[in-house]
Amino acid sequence: VVPGETALAFYKAKNPTDKPIIGISTYNVIPFEAGQYFNKIQCFCFEEQRLNPQEEVDMPVFFYIDPEFAEDPKMAKVNLITLSYTFFEAKEGQKLPLPGYQ
Amino acid sequence: MSTAMNFGTKSFKPRPPDKGAFPLDHFGECSAFKERFMECLRNSDYESSACRQHAKAYLQCRMERRQLMANEPLEKLGFKDLTDDTSEAKSEK
Repeated sequence: VVPGETALAFYKAKNPTDKPIIGISTYNVIPFEAGQYFNKIQCFCFEEQRLNPQEEVDMPVFFYIDPEFAEDPKMAKVNLITLSYTFFEAKEGQKLPLPGYQ
Repeated sequence: MSTAMNFGTKSFKPRPPDKGAFPLDHFGECSAFKERFMECLRNSDYESSACRQHAKAYLQCRMERRQLMANEPLEKLGFKDLTDDTSEAKSEK
């Protein structure tokens, strides 16, 4: 990934249970100091997402690394930035009025 | 998973995405585009720059199905150089 250039990444999530699950995710960036340079344009996080029983979906993240990352001497040795997401269950099986879905 | 030992520096504050959340592609409408993108990545040793055309195609697929992504000019999504290329190619024909 080149700092300043937009990039796309995919995660995959599966609901292995027989009930719909509403999840919400948050993210983490390692190393910690690189997090300030990580800019998400659009992703699946922070909003509740519903996964039906046995459903598997692709979860995209569209992002870029701030070009100032390349100027920061503290980042000189950082060659690998790891983005991870953790899904939390919101409320199991609850029907939410999801905008845009009919 | 991570235990960041913060020695008094600013804490990591997760920030929401600039343009909000992607609705889930429950019906896999753009899965084919995603597969082509992933295949490109595998073939180019996971170098993101090499696969920007495929990333652009995936996002265009989402935008065409309006429930999956709001329409944005491609230049604003960082694909300005790719849109110039396509218009150049058209004028050469």
